[in-house]
Amino acid sequence: MSYLELDGLVKTYGEVDAVSDFNLVVDKGEFISLLGPSGCGKTTTLRIIAGFETPNRGTVRLDGEDITEVPPHHRGMGMVFQSYALFPNMTAWGNVAFGLRVSKQSASQINQRVVELLDLVGLGDASQKYPAELSGGQQQRVALARALAIEPKVLLLDEPLSALDAVVRVSLRQEIRRIQSQLGITTVYVTHDQEEALSISDRVVVMRRAEIEQIGTPIEIYTSPKTQFVATFIGTTTRFEAVVDDGRAGRVRAGDVELVVGRDLSPEFGEGERVNVFVRPEAIRIAQAGEPVQADNILPATLESVTLLGPVIRLSLTCHGLPLVADVNTNERSRFARGEDVLVCFQASACRVMREQES
Amino acid sequence: MKNRNPAGTVSILLFLGYMFLPILATYIFSVAVRWDRSILPEGLTLDWYRTAFQDRWFLIVFTHSITLSAATVLTSVVLIVPTAYWVHLRLPRALPLLNLISTLPFAIPAVVLALGLIKLYGQGPLQLARTPPMLVLAYVIFTLPFMYRPVASSLEAVDVRRLTEAAQSLGASWPRTLVQVILPNIMPGILSGGLLVFATVFGEFTLATLLVGARFKTFPMQLVYYTRRDGRIASAYSVISFTVAWVTSLVILWVATWGTRRGAGRDVKGELASKQASVGGTV
Repeated sequence: MSYLELDGLVKTYGEVDAVSDFNLVVDKGEFISLLGPSGCGKTTTLRIIAGFETPNRGTVRLDGEDITEVPPHHRGMGMVFQSYALFPNMTAWGNVAFGLRVSKQSASQINQRVVELLDLVGLGDASQKYPAELSGGQQQRVALARALAIEPKVLLLDEPLSALDAVVRVSLRQEIRRIQSQLGITTVYVTHDQEEALSISDRVVVMRRAEIEQIGTPIEIYTSPKTQFVATFIGTTTRFEAVVDDGRAGRVRAGDVELVVGRDLSPEFGEGERVNVFVRPEAIRIAQAGEPVQADNILPATLESVTLLGPVIRLSLTCHGLPLVADVNTNERSRFARGEDVLVCFQASACRVMREQES
Repeated sequence: MKNRNPAGTVSILLFLGYMFLPILATYIFSVAVRWDRSILPEGLTLDWYRTAFQDRWFLIVFTHSITLSAATVLTSVVLIVPTAYWVHLRLPRALPLLNLISTLPFAIPAVVLALGLIKLYGQGPLQLARTPPMLVLAYVIFTLPFMYRPVASSLEAVDVRRLTEAAQSLGASWPRTLVQVILPNIMPGILSGGLLVFATVFGEFTLATLLVGARFKTFPMQLVYYTRRDGRIASAYSVISFTVAWVTSLVILWVATWGTRRGAGRDVKGELASKQASVGGTV
């Protein structure tokens, strides 16, 4: 059930393409993230949806109706900004009430709704405070309540958590998702933080240089990246620069190392063609030298460094001069010491083979 | 601070003397019986104020000047605030140009401005030349930097663009956004600009004389008239002029702290308090 349709959007600033040929169909109630590095066009796309920018070409349709030329104040889309953009001259209550006053609701209706929304974002007792008296996280909660107050057709969030510190960021993003699901509101969320995008979205749109690289569910994006950019931008990964050795058997060679990638490469790649093989750190198992192991790929490696990341420790290794990263459970840290010789094991199915993409 | 630099103290005292001695002298002169043949005044009197107030012109010129000042402030706000807002919002590339234009009045002498305006508006259908409305319009140009600068810095201090977009996304139209969101947040700038314009116009002599002359007598014209007859009455007029400036400042300050709420109100107070000192000298 398509609700918000973006069809062939193009936006250029002078010579520079900000967005080129953007196509996306969002279902009602869906939570979509636009993810990419700064300058990839994600914010411009959001601003086109909001009506703050007019695309050079393409259409924006909402519930079947072409709204490309509709001015922002007639679109009924709630917007949350990175800089909160609360009205400094109004209390939290006044900020949330603003949109309701514009739509000329009765005083009792407004009051009931504002109280309800401030409770929803957990700020019921801060209604008489001014933005300057609230913390960043609280201000963004008020901004969220303000955007939700008008019962927006689409909720737009432009890097809403980027100005907040780590702890608040994680708790507030969970809350945004909770409220979004509770209200079933269609949401477009712009972020450059891949962890954020993966953790709260129904679908993620990965963008680079004004173009869409991949659209998919978080798990698709993470486990089946379609391009080299997606593979390297999302999460951490080891890259082997290799040449196809025996395409039919799925064998490639990276330096002195022979890898089994577990699928027939011959339809896609010729013999001797240069490819990149990506392996996620959590797909790698580390075994002690001499330990009996079973895996499609077993490579001898030397442990270069051990970094504690919290729940996992990240091991940097070298295997015949090639750098490799692997994550193991922090409980197993005593098994590993720098300079140790170990075995790196991973299944053929953990390998993603991709053609070199120009950067 | 034991070892104060004596050179510093001296220069500060010199500066204060330079600024305040003439004002002090004016105050004393306005209540002195005579002060032209002795070091200290020969007795004190309020006669000069009585003469000033009893002058049949006093109320007329006072009303004229207050009206001119108020009309100029109003016209200036209505013209400049929306323009400055729009340029900050939509044409940021035109800002350098606007900044340049807004300083031009400093570079154009009042005489030149007056002659140009008379020449331009002397003919044609409007026939505004030599009328008080034209004087108001000339004052708007003349005081443009005083209004524009504080308004522009207020606009720069708040994120005008984001606030506007936030208001629009909530369904607010342009006029509503300007009145309910932008104006309250740039009020400190508008108030201090208005104060400067009011005080400047209230004490302005050259343009008024050249553009309308005796047909529409203003307070400073009457003051100048008395400087030629009796310096003590002129001093009384000056003191009244100072007082008007101070009272307007206080009224605006009071309105500002009463009208704008807490956080914003405090800023207005601080900004205006510092402005007040500078205004005293211009009148």
